[in-house]
Amino acid sequence: MEETNKQVPVTVLTGFLGAGKTTLLNRILTEQHGKKYAVIVNEFGEQGIDNDLVVDADEEVFEMNNGCICCTVRGDLIRILSGLMKRADKLDAIIVETTGLADPAPVAQTFFVDQDVADRTKLDAIVTVADAVHLSTQLTDHHEAEEQIAFADVVLLNKIDLVDESGLEVVKERIKKINPFAKIINTTKCGVSLNEILNLDAFSLKRVLDVEPDFLTSDHDHEHDDDVTSLSFVSDTPLDMEKFQDWFSKLLQTKGQDILRTKGILDFTGESDRYVFQGVHMLMDASPMGKWPEGKERSSRLVFIGRNLESMNLKEGFENCKSA
Amino acid sequence: MKADTSQFPELDKTKFEQRGTEFKLGIPVTNAVTVGNSIAVGFGDGTVRIFTSGESSEPIKAHKGIVLCMSKDGDNILTGGDDGRFLNISLDGKINEIGNFGTRWVDHVAANNGSLVCSSGNIVYLWSPNHKEPKLFEHNSTIGGIAFDAKGRRLAVSRYGGVTLWKKDYSNKWNSSELNWKGSHNKVIFSPDGKYLVTSMQENQLHFWRLKDKIDSAMSGYGAKIKSFAFVDDSKYLATSGAKEAVCWPFDGDGPVGREPICLPYVGNKLVTFVEPFPNENAILTGLSDGSVFLSEIEKASNTIIIRSFTEFEVSAIAVTKDCSHLLIGDMGGNILWTSIWDEEKK
Repeated sequence: MEETNKQVPVTVLTGFLGAGKTTLLNRILTEQHGKKYAVIVNEFGEQGIDNDLVVDADEEVFEMNNGCICCTVRGDLIRILSGLMKRADKLDAIIVETTGLADPAPVAQTFFVDQDVADRTKLDAIVTVADAVHLSTQLTDHHEAEEQIAFADVVLLNKIDLVDESGLEVVKERIKKINPFAKIINTTKCGVSLNEILNLDAFSLKRVLDVEPDFLTSDHDHEHDDDVTSLSFVSDTPLDMEKFQDWFSKLLQTKGQDILRTKGILDFTGESDRYVFQGVHMLMDASPMGKWPEGKERSSRLVFIGRNLESMNLKEGFENCKSA
Repeated sequence: MKADTSQFPELDKTKFEQRGTEFKLGIPVTNAVTVGNSIAVGFGDGTVRIFTSGESSEPIKAHKGIVLCMSKDGDNILTGGDDGRFLNISLDGKINEIGNFGTRWVDHVAANNGSLVCSSGNIVYLWSPNHKEPKLFEHNSTIGGIAFDAKGRRLAVSRYGGVTLWKKDYSNKWNSSELNWKGSHNKVIFSPDGKYLVTSMQENQLHFWRLKDKIDSAMSGYGAKIKSFAFVDDSKYLATSGAKEAVCWPFDGDGPVGREPICLPYVGNKLVTFVEPFPNENAILTGLSDGSVFLSEIEKASNTIIIRSFTEFEVSAIAVTKDCSHLLIGDMGGNILWTSIWDEEKK
C-alpha cells in the first residue's frame, strides 16, 4: 500500500480536435488549485502557453519484442515520465494529452509494460472530452473516436449548450452503448471541478468493485460488425477457477486485439476471497481482493468492451466455466 | 559477534565514508562528469554543483527543472535540460546558452574536439567549432542516445529500430548508414578501440554491432532495464547494470559471441543500477539500488571492497577524478559522498 502512495497519478486526456481539450488543459495549468501538475502535450504548441510544466512530445508508438502481438507502448511517455521522476519537487499529478486520432491502448499499455514507469507512476484514469454536437458523426466516421469512448473512465460531454435535450439523450445513449462504465459529465466550456477528473484511481482493482455498469436495456440490433460495443455477464453459480483461467487466457490470446477493455469480479468455488481483474487488450491486472462482504450474495460479474464481441461466443464460454 | 550499532551509526560507516565528506542535499542526482580533478554534478532541481577537493561550489542555476544530461567539453561541461536549453558551463559557473528548444527537452549532449552535439526530439544538432548555426540531422523517431567515437569522425545516434551511424568524410561532409535491429534503442556507446557499438534497449537487453563486418547480436538475460553500461580496461570488458550482479561481457579477441560473461555478485542481493569503470584498471565501481557502492576487480571477484554502505536510494552517479585520487558517489535521494581512494600513507 505504501508503494501506491509514492506513485504519481497520470491522467490521460483524449478527445477529438475541437472537443475542448485545450480549454481544459488551460484550466488545469492556470487555476489556483495549489497543486503541481505537469502536462505532456501534443497539439498544444500553437496555443503558446508559457508554463514550466508543459512538456512537448511526439506520439511514438513502439512495438515491444516480448511476443505479445498487440503489445505497443508509447516511447515518448516512457522517456518523459522517467525524466519527470527525477524532479526534486514531487508532482501531484501528470496529465497526458493525446491527439484526436490517437489510439488510447498504447498509452494504457505503457503502464503495464514498462517497469520504471509502473514503479513510479500509475495510470489514474482515461478522460475523454467529447463534443456533444459532433460526437455522433465522429463515432460513425472514425474508429479512433469509438476507441476513445471505449477506453474512457470519464466522458466529459462538452458543449451541451449547443444541443437540445433530445439530442443530448441520443449522444448519451450512444456513449453508454459503447461503454457502460464511463461516468458521463455534462459540461459547457469544460466547466468541471478538477476533482471529478483527476486522482480517480480508476485503474486500481479496488475501484473495479465499485463499478456498476450503466447498461442499456435495448438489444444490439442494427450494428456493424466492427462497431465497438459492450457485453456483460452475471452468474450466481460459482465458477471453476481452472476452467475460467483456461477459457479466459485463450480468449485474450486469440481475440485480444478486438477486446479493448475488460473488468470483472469473480466468485470461484472453494475460494473465500473475491477475485478482481481489469485489463487492456491482452494485458491484465488481477488479484484476490479480500473476503466477500457478510450477508451479501456472492456472484460473478464480467464486462467486455470491444469489437466483434458477438462472434466470440462469450456467453457460451462463460457458461462453461460454471462449476458443475 | 555483532554489537548493537544503532546508537553509533558511525560504526557502520566504511573507511571511505569515515575519511570522506558527505553531503545530504535531498535533491536527486541525475549525472556526474569528471573535469580534471573536479567533478560536476547535475541535479533534479536544474542546478549543477562543482565538487573539488571535498568541497562543493554554490549551486549553479543551469536549468529550470531537471538537468537531464551532461557531458565534458574540454575544461567545461555541457548540459541539457527540461527547459529546452543546451548549455556550456565553465567550472567557475559561467553559463553560455548554445541552443534553446522551448518546451522540447534536450535529452542528450556530447562533445568532441570542440564539436558540440545535442538531441531534442528526433533531431541531432551539431555545432562545429567556430560555427554559430548548427547542422541538423533528422531521424525517424525520438533519439535514445548519442555518442562520438574517440576521434570524433563518427557519431552514433540510437533510435527506434536501430542506430544511425554518421561518418565525416575528408571533405567534412557527414554521411549516414543504418544499423537496424527491431525495438527501441536507448543509450549508445562506442568501444574505446572503435571496433564495437553497443546500445541498451527498451526490453531488458543490450545489442551490439561489430563495425568492421556489421555482425550483430543481443546480450540478454537481465531482470531490469540496463540504464548504465561502460567499457572497462580499454575495451576488454563491457560492464553492465540491470541485474543483481554486475554482468561483464568479454569484448577482447573476437568479442562476446559464444562466450559467457563474468558476473560479480554483491551482498544484499540488490539490483545493480550504476557501473563506472575504474580508470586504467581491470576494475569497476558498482552502485546498487540500495545506495551501496563496491569496487571490484573483474577477474578476481574476491578482491571486492565496499566503498559506501546503503542509503536506501539508488545510486545514480559515480565519477573518479582524472588523477584517480578521489571519487564521488551520488544517489536519487541527493546523498553525495566525496572520498579519497587510497589510504593517506600510500600516497
